[in-house]
Amino acid sequence: MRNFILFIRRFFNLILFLILEIVCFVLIARTNMLQGNDVLSSANTVAGIVYQKREDVVYYFGLKRMNDSLLNENIRLREALARISGVDTLRDTVVSRRIRAVDSGSLIRYADYIYRPARVINNSVTSENNYITINRGAHHGVKKRMAVLSGTGVVGEVISVSDNFASILSVLNVKRKLSAKLKDGTMGSVMWEEGKPDVLVLEDIPKEIKVFRGDSVFTTSYSFFPPDVLIGTIDRVRINKKNNVQILYLKSATNFRNLQYVYVVENTMMEERKRLEDSTRKAK
Amino acid sequence: MSIYLKNFLRFCIIILIQVLILNKITLRWWAQPSGFPVFIPYIYPLFILLLPFETSVVVLMLCGFVLGLTMDTFMNTAGIHASATVLIAYLRTNVLNALLPKNLVEYPNQSPGVKNMGWVPFLVYSAFLIVIHHAVFFSIELWSFSNIGYLLLKILASSATSLLFIIAYLLLFTKQTSLRS
Repeated sequence: MRNFILFIRRFFNLILFLILEIVCFVLIARTNMLQGNDVLSSANTVAGIVYQKREDVVYYFGLKRMNDSLLNENIRLREALARISGVDTLRDTVVSRRIRAVDSGSLIRYADYIYRPARVINNSVTSENNYITINRGAHHGVKKRMAVLSGTGVVGEVISVSDNFASILSVLNVKRKLSAKLKDGTMGSVMWEEGKPDVLVLEDIPKEIKVFRGDSVFTTSYSFFPPDVLIGTIDRVRINKKNNVQILYLKSATNFRNLQYVYVVENTMMEERKRLEDSTRKAK
Repeated sequence: MSIYLKNFLRFCIIILIQVLILNKITLRWWAQPSGFPVFIPYIYPLFILLLPFETSVVVLMLCGFVLGLTMDTFMNTAGIHASATVLIAYLRTNVLNALLPKNLVEYPNQSPGVKNMGWVPFLVYSAFLIVIHHAVFFSIELWSFSNIGYLLLKILASSATSLLFIIAYLLLFTKQTSLRS
């Protein structure tokens, strides 16, 4: 016993060092499993308040730029609206049947999206997995696994929520892939190569599919993102000699460096869809 | 000012500088748009480097742990900063013993600094620990050695920049009269 106490006293520093390192690695391992990193994330209250205070100051310097981006988005939405409402049905051959009020009871909405605006109060583009903090949380209806969009394209996914803040894993991460499609509907998955905040990679597109520089890449309805949101435009095409598939390098539609406002998108039918998909997977 | 209060204030100042200013600076070592990783300088290990000489290893490691966890909370990297910082806190006493001519007990109530160590020993001391800190931090963050050139480049460029910022911090926050003597 005495020897044991002497041993502990002799190597106390080393033992404490090892204990602390083990605690650190347990924390790292828990985070990499992508669950339960609620305690040590910038969505917690102290870090959230510090970031909020900084954002209150920095906010004013970006007003002009934000105004411009909102104007551009308005123009884009107005154009989309004009395309739908501006069809002259007398001259055009498109036949449209009006839905009467009686029918609306039997209409099933398989996807129903609620958009909530939020301000970005912390953002990073330099790490392996980049996180964004926003000033909306559980009090405002934000939940885990909601999609996050910007005015121009995809941003990421909500991964942890506190009362007034939420952390978002941005698309700039090496953990997850994002389901994507080309203009003609060819499916693929978008990844990110670390180090370049403007470049995304779309892999495994067969060589037969013709793609051109400047083509758009959209989200699909397979993931939790709403379909047909712009991910990026093709910037460079490379052919993988080994298995003869094309690798497309995309210029991301969202500028992650000066993100200011994002929309948190809730799909109200996601719950039901996920339950069905999970039960199918279990039954198999 | 009591030494505890002084170090607590320094802790807050360094955390705030790191979180509010340096985390917003994303640097590229060369100006070319792609091909080199972007990174941010880390000056927060400076808090460990500047604790008084006679601080025991246990206290150093606990301070390092708290400091690392604070940084992890702000940067969403649970545990990575903490493990790197605990390691340099553990090594600090040995490095100081190797660099200084006298025993550590013979510097009562003093902190390592340019004033009582001179520029060259202090820079060697901080460069050594910063490089170790960055090496551990980036290896854990990348978690693979398949891309070793990229990793080494990132470690070297990042430590060099961090050192520049640490020198700038020292020039800003040290009393000028004591620096000249």
